[in-house]
Amino acid sequence: MPIRRSNTAYLFLLFPLGILLVFTLIPTLLGIGLSLFAWDGGPDPSWVGLNNFTDLASDAKFGPALRNTIVYVLGSVPPMVIIGFLLAAAVQASWFKGRVLVRTMFFLPTILSIVAIGYVWRWLLEPEAGLVNWALRLVGVVNPPDWLNDEQWALRSIIVVTVWRGIGFCMVIYLASLATINRSLYEAAEVDGATPGQVLRHITWPQVAPTTAFLFITGVIGSLQVFDVVFVMTGQAENDATNVLNLYIYRLFTYGQLGYAAAVGVVIFTITLLATAAQLTWTMRSRRAEQGAA
Amino acid sequence: MSTLRSPPLPIRLAVHAVVYLGAFTMLLPMAWMVLTSLKTDLEAAQAPTWATLLPSVPQWGHYHEAIRAADLDRFYWNSALAAILTTVLGVAHNALAGFAFAKLRFAGKRVLFGLALTTMMVPIQVYFIFAYIICSKLGFVDNIQALIVPFLASGFGIFYIRQVMNAVPDSLIEAGRLDGMNEFDIFWYVARPIIWPAIASLGVFTFVFSWNNLFWPLIVVDSERSKTLPLAIADLSAGQYVDSWPVQMAAGTILIVPLVVVFFLLQRAFVQGVAVTGIKE
Repeated sequence: MPIRRSNTAYLFLLFPLGILLVFTLIPTLLGIGLSLFAWDGGPDPSWVGLNNFTDLASDAKFGPALRNTIVYVLGSVPPMVIIGFLLAAAVQASWFKGRVLVRTMFFLPTILSIVAIGYVWRWLLEPEAGLVNWALRLVGVVNPPDWLNDEQWALRSIIVVTVWRGIGFCMVIYLASLATINRSLYEAAEVDGATPGQVLRHITWPQVAPTTAFLFITGVIGSLQVFDVVFVMTGQAENDATNVLNLYIYRLFTYGQLGYAAAVGVVIFTITLLATAAQLTWTMRSRRAEQGAA
Repeated sequence: MSTLRSPPLPIRLAVHAVVYLGAFTMLLPMAWMVLTSLKTDLEAAQAPTWATLLPSVPQWGHYHEAIRAADLDRFYWNSALAAILTTVLGVAHNALAGFAFAKLRFAGKRVLFGLALTTMMVPIQVYFIFAYIICSKLGFVDNIQALIVPFLASGFGIFYIRQVMNAVPDSLIEAGRLDGMNEFDIFWYVARPIIWPAIASLGVFTFVFSWNNLFWPLIVVDSERSKTLPLAIADLSAGQYVDSWPVQMAAGTILIVPLVVVFFLLQRAFVQGVAVTGIKE
């Protein structure tokens, strides 16, 4: 039942909404506008229309940064979500021993600062004294790569670290979602003689579809904005092999090319909106198709 | 509740093996970080052998060295103050706003809530330039205010609290009103105790976010004295300690200790909070 009108509500909202207005909403509108100007932070920005965007098309640094960002998103989000799902399904089984312990261990990296994680992985991936290459030599790999300095491997290494860190989060969310599945579905499947693989494929996976959609959408949004892990692992020197859009924006900002930086920001924002809209449409279409089939 | 038929023993064993191996690789990097921080430079720089996996004599001095050389104690204080104030004040404001959106009636509610939600969608890279300029006009740049004030409200926090407020029955709120409570009393004495776990979760998220934040401090911190711990540690590698992996690993350990402590103290709040986030749709 709704409660009678309240003016105190405005009092409660005044400060938090004021903060969002001043530090997020207004700067967003101004930032989008700034993408149409050339500005070094001095007294007079000059109007350049869409020139910042047409310049991006021929910018030798923007291309690799865009490509790397997309590779990063596609390389990290699907494995993270799928491994998270399989883990949650395994741990959720009634015969699994030590569910809480395993959940804690997988979740731990999620909360640790990327600065620390980036450093420890740089050390693990160090070519001579690093633990990873030590293990590889132990199993007979003669000449393991210098992961972070090898153009072929640097971005892939960063993607692996991202997946390593993210699966615990996906797993915990899937566990919560799995706990809400109606047991009778499983019992019916058992009566029908379904194998565990079939149950996983035809009951569990469709039942957690909303969670999968949530993880994909938020995962794509978050990884399009990747900054920390790249900055710490390879980003302190400029290089095209692992440059990503946000790192490029940060550099443009430090060089004082503010209008151009804003234009790259608008590109990220646009890609984010398009990717989110596409995923939402796809989610709703497959949900409708499922209902039609049922 | 009937339990499902279990798969055969070899499969169960294999699943346990794979899952525990994965769980082990989650801890291994952190364990290796701590081990390395206790080795001598020479031990760490050599290609590892079975014999040198453990430090021969633990070098506790590396922690002292990391703290003294990079003034980590000062940056620890900056980070802690920013994270604690952001958490306490931010959670309070987000909780009040979430309560207002969930349980109070007022004109313009949908529009205002829509605005709050919009802020969740915009990447910081679109608004940081003018957020920086506004902070500099307010005199926040290079001060701790810049690390706190912009984070005292968040679209996510408001949305999260509004969602969990659904667990508070309207009849209780109406009863409070009949007893002559004002809105704040209702929030504090009726709603807050019920959603306390969610408030704790939001507090933990906010603390971790503030403690780990890197992009924004890189923008608004100019001078040595205002650096946060992640910035200071990111700088360590550029300075004189670039060759000393053990000292860097000691610094990394120092950085994660508060997070590990917070995590284990409030693990339930964490995991439940994440779970609620995931099934909100």
